[in-house]
Amino acid sequence: MSAPPSYQGLAGRRVLITGGTGFIGGRLAERLILEVGAEVRALVRTYTHASRLARFPIELVQGDVVDERAVRRAADGCDVVFHCAYGTSGTQRHRARVNLKGTESVLGAAAAAGVRRVVHLSTLMVYGATEDGDLDERSPRRFFGDAYSNSKLRAESLALSSAASRDLEVTVLQPTAVYGPFGGVWTRNVMSQLASGRVILVDGGSGLCNAVYIDDLVSAMLLAAVEAKAAGEAFLISGEEPFPWSELYGAFETMMGLEERTVTMSAKEARSHYRHDRWNRPSIVSEGLRMLRGDEELRDRVLATREASLAQWMISTVLPEAAQKKLKRRLLSSRSRGGPEPRDSDELPIHPMSPLMVKFFLPKTRVRIDKAKELLGYRPAFDFAAGMERTREWAQWANLLS
Amino acid sequence: MSESSRNPLRVAVVGCGAVAAIHHLPALHSSRLAEAVLLVDKDRERAEGLAREFGIAAVATDAEEVPSKAEAAIVALPNYLHAPVAIDLLRGGIPTLVEKPMARTVAECDAMIEAAVETILAVGLEFRFFHSSSLVRQVLASGILGAVRRFDLRQGVVLEWPLSSDYLFRKDLAGGGVLMDFGSHLLDLVLWWFGDPATIAYYDDAQGGTESDCRLELSFSSGLEGRVEISRIRDLPNTCRIEGERGTLEVGIWDPDPPVTLSLNGSDVELKGGAVAPGENGGGGFREAFRRQIDDFAQAVREGGTPRVSGAEARRSLQLIETCYATRGDLEFPWMSWLPSEAP
Repeated sequence: MSAPPSYQGLAGRRVLITGGTGFIGGRLAERLILEVGAEVRALVRTYTHASRLARFPIELVQGDVVDERAVRRAADGCDVVFHCAYGTSGTQRHRARVNLKGTESVLGAAAAAGVRRVVHLSTLMVYGATEDGDLDERSPRRFFGDAYSNSKLRAESLALSSAASRDLEVTVLQPTAVYGPFGGVWTRNVMSQLASGRVILVDGGSGLCNAVYIDDLVSAMLLAAVEAKAAGEAFLISGEEPFPWSELYGAFETMMGLEERTVTMSAKEARSHYRHDRWNRPSIVSEGLRMLRGDEELRDRVLATREASLAQWMISTVLPEAAQKKLKRRLLSSRSRGGPEPRDSDELPIHPMSPLMVKFFLPKTRVRIDKAKELLGYRPAFDFAAGMERTREWAQWANLLS
Repeated sequence: MSESSRNPLRVAVVGCGAVAAIHHLPALHSSRLAEAVLLVDKDRERAEGLAREFGIAAVATDAEEVPSKAEAAIVALPNYLHAPVAIDLLRGGIPTLVEKPMARTVAECDAMIEAAVETILAVGLEFRFFHSSSLVRQVLASGILGAVRRFDLRQGVVLEWPLSSDYLFRKDLAGGGVLMDFGSHLLDLVLWWFGDPATIAYYDDAQGGTESDCRLELSFSSGLEGRVEISRIRDLPNTCRIEGERGTLEVGIWDPDPPVTLSLNGSDVELKGGAVAPGENGGGGFREAFRRQIDDFAQAVREGGTPRVSGAEARRSLQLIETCYATRGDLEFPWMSWLPSEAP
């Protein structure tokens, strides 16, 4: 029989989780209570999504992660803070602010409350657009280009530099694609994409997917909270071996009993499809006209405005009569015009993939987890098949499989 | 007929949280038999805001002011306050409609019923006022389905209700989790439709806190077997499917105007549509269900009758809920173990 994992040392200790109502923080809370026997406190912005947490004797502290005083109250008396919260709603700008300001306030509050260690959840995305071949923690950090990745890189830098300037131990984890029961981006979103259309596989999905089952990530987080050598370090956390993206989408297709929900494109074709799709989307003008045609009261109210009167005057002065008639017909006709052409009903729409995401799916990057193995004693317990079996059992229960 | 019995029943709403703002006040606003005349909330600003919105003259921060300003009350407070506040009002002779669940325990229910000997106690189980719920009861009573063999009630909605505090998750304040919350409606319907079960088995996912998901298996002396699943962490079909020896009835149970489907064995057609009252086009959604509930209460007060869901009626589902909690077993989920399954 092997020795109990080192994180059993957290038994009876008080810990704080930010983002506890989410996928990763929620599972972390479950294991901290059931497996470790820690005293868990969770900072929650609202109580609405706390049902899963409330199954346990968890102390729920209401507060926004960007409010340092609220986090300070929640961190009081805690040995470890697991910072999993990130911006999930509002504008990109707001989300980025939650990522950065939230990290700043967690670090400040943890230092003030005398917390021993902060485990900061970062992301593989801090390495930006990766290349073929091995990637480890010595690889250069780069902005990927979207608000999430960019702000997560800034937050991670802050976390690591803060560790040096404050009397605070910080360990950073950079998980790859996290999937499993209650998962969002790499579980439910994949399922809803496959259910609602076809997904592009760039170069047949031959790029490598570095994925980690939720419980392996949580094991790494628990280890990161206790291993002395982890202080001030960042660790990539992934499954044992990457596999082609086609395998990930194929596994979800199989789980859902779907067929032919992926379509192969070269990077160039995917980019061109994206441009074409954008061009075919309804413009604000065509959508506005459509709304006005559909709602007589709204149309009359808009036509009665000063701006509309001015526009009508200009049209009557500038446009030839035939063009005026055509415009009027278009505005008043209840028959739908403009907007995208109706799609062939036999063919499901192809979800457009942004050029940035093409860059994400293309490379054959192999994420190395040697550092986590060596310093944390991390050993992924779930291969993709085992992780997907758990995911299937959950999806069945969650009524997500027909 | 006295002057007071011709005028709308003057109602105080005690507790100005989400259910008052979203359901009770709009229902009172559209009722011809009752009107809101007083709003009570310890947060005076909250009460004043709603009073302005609904054109209500008086606000107060304590339910003590109810008897001097209103004839009846709706108690829409957190669950732990239902019994103490309702008992005070009832003892003061104020007919009271209490939001569901009636109380946290059967003992509290009994104290409330005792306090209501001289007046009227109704419980806000508005699902009973959905036309579809009445239709199911009447179809079952008619015998169209023959002997009823089995039912499956699956209700699950990921919670999005705006919660201003954590009371719903605290057993001491709420009395329980999803079984107490959504379940008080559903078990009330089950008892109304099928009567009292002979035996039950109950499982939930609570691990020292309040359950977010549960399953109840019921057996009736008639041979009927039923299963109820309730969740606030997964979306379920929100239907009750009832199988009889001659046919099947399926009814939506979360939507106030759900589709109802009646299929008779051996028939190649089925009846599908919404339940409506004669002369109406639809059920009118939650607002109308709440309006029918307040009208039923007002009518019982004015005419001295019994409301559709009296304290004694609502106590039955509380009794069942209490039995569930006393005999609970763990729901088991394969993904809860942090170790991979052993290879076979």
